[in-house]
Amino acid sequence: MAEFIQLHMLASYPPSNLNRDDLGRPKTAMMGGACRLRVSSQSLKRAWRTSEIFKEAFGDHLGIRTKEMGWNIYLAMKGGKALSDVLEERDAAPVRTGVAEKKAVEWGQAIAAQFGKLKSVKDSNEENTEKKKKESLCVEQMVHFSPDEIAAIDALLSRLVESGKDPSDEDLALLREENSAVDIAMFGRMLASSPSFNCEAAVQVAHAITVHRVAVEDDYFTAVDDLNRGIEDVGAAHVGQAEFAAGLYYAYLCINRDLLVENLGGKSELADKTIAALTEAAAKVGPKGKQNSFASRAYASYILAERGSQQPRSLAVAFLKPVGGEDYLTTAVNVLEKTRENMEKTYGACARDTMTMNAAAGVGTLKEILTFVSGDHA
Amino acid sequence: MPEYLLFRLFGPMAAWGGVAVGEYRPSESHPSRSAIFGLVAAALGIRREDAADLKELQESYRMAVLVNTPGSLIRDYHTTQVPSEITKKRAWPFATRREEVSIHRDDLNTILSTREYFCDALYTVCIRAATENPPYLLSELAEALNSPVFTLYLGRRSCPVALPLQPQVVRGDNLRAAMEAAVFQNIGMMSPIAGKERGMLFWEDEENTGFAVESSQTVQRRDVALNRRRWQFTERKEHGALVQVPEGVR
Repeated sequence: MAEFIQLHMLASYPPSNLNRDDLGRPKTAMMGGACRLRVSSQSLKRAWRTSEIFKEAFGDHLGIRTKEMGWNIYLAMKGGKALSDVLEERDAAPVRTGVAEKKAVEWGQAIAAQFGKLKSVKDSNEENTEKKKKESLCVEQMVHFSPDEIAAIDALLSRLVESGKDPSDEDLALLREENSAVDIAMFGRMLASSPSFNCEAAVQVAHAITVHRVAVEDDYFTAVDDLNRGIEDVGAAHVGQAEFAAGLYYAYLCINRDLLVENLGGKSELADKTIAALTEAAAKVGPKGKQNSFASRAYASYILAERGSQQPRSLAVAFLKPVGGEDYLTTAVNVLEKTRENMEKTYGACARDTMTMNAAAGVGTLKEILTFVSGDHA
Repeated sequence: MPEYLLFRLFGPMAAWGGVAVGEYRPSESHPSRSAIFGLVAAALGIRREDAADLKELQESYRMAVLVNTPGSLIRDYHTTQVPSEITKKRAWPFATRREEVSIHRDDLNTILSTREYFCDALYTVCIRAATENPPYLLSELAEALNSPVFTLYLGRRSCPVALPLQPQVVRGDNLRAAMEAAVFQNIGMMSPIAGKERGMLFWEDEENTGFAVESSQTVQRRDVALNRRRWQFTERKEHGALVQVPEGVR
């Protein structure tokens, strides 16, 4: 038995081509025997995982991104300070004895090299050795450091100072294993070559499918050459075709809260924050495909959130019969709620608690939904 | 009279992975043995790495699948951006996907795959004990399906179930008798999918299913999971025939 948080969302996208197949056509699926638009689960997840919302929501949990961790490690070692104090530029008292210059540089490089390729420092005649030293402790690309990683590095520094020995390969490898980034806790990781890095995803995301029948349309377009004065020929400089369609999508997510907490090493507060950030991203962020051509960004118009230990199920059956009529959204909301009600009547309770938000009708708030999905209510 | 556990599987999309070596990830037309016992194991909370428990689970039961509605096949063109091998070597593992794809464009490669799914398909699964002392009573399996430990899905995680499974334990002399004793509720919305009078039944062993079968086919199916770490599977014989579906499981 586990605590599941299910999210049912309706989001309306204007003409767009969010997720394309090998022909550049919007992806489709059959549902109830009718053709629907589809945005794949993978496409949605990518949009959410790379969104600003995640970055902001986890400001203090997701750690920091820097090229200069090696330099900071060096400073921490030299001054005997805690790494977090150095990173946050806190003027705190030393926590251990300082390390000699040479060792501090060596160890700083060894640790930084675990996280990225060290910058190659050119042998220039430049006299600024301090700048060169800093350069030699930096990596080429920005690297993300989770709070756990920073803590692990700090713990390693203490061990190194105590023993006076160089870090072993195992010491260095450990730095990475302790990474408990929420991203992976949510969406999992599967590496056939290194099973110890594997993690079972705690979040299930369905392909989003339109609630109504859709015919993908063709946009035949031409582009004129501004410098063509129409003297020799008057045709278009480019002729192309772009396919697109508009739709009201039903999206479904199921979060296994117990597994998420486990993946995050038992930190249930972090799990709740994660769930809230994911919900917010799912409500506000869509795939970026062809945004410059369509500017089709959309927020969810309707969210139904459920909690409970009952077997999770999507409510896609509500839309097996394609929604029709003048007002897709209102009809879809009604059908969705009716289906949920009927399902409970027929099969018994499918969840313990529910909460809805309807932006079109101005009922409920996203904030209420976020409060509802986060927190241990079991 | 032997006991049977029946439950049904429905979702807008399902994928029953067949033998796949490269970028083409085909789906079989109906659930594989590994998919069904993987689903039951997920409900029970048996983890992928619990090899012994998984082995015991799948060796202790026999299964049959009725395809109520075969659905239609779609092919999904799937791209995944990944850092180049060289980048991976010096910066792996990335803490987040955001970090992974925010490296320089020139260092990002794309992996292609074509994944098959079945849309609109409905199945009824039938499980019975194959040994004297199976690790779980059928009623315990039913209970686990009703309040699972891990999320259930139809072959791929992106294919959630869209109906309660309605697991039920019934008695019967054979598969047909068991199906006649079962009752699955359908909500009105299911009418475009459910209610078909005939369906393909697939079963293992040489058992008498009790169904009047005009002709049957037998195929070797490589879907018995042996070792998940090494991704090894072995073959089994699967028989299939078109049958008249008892009213309660339509």
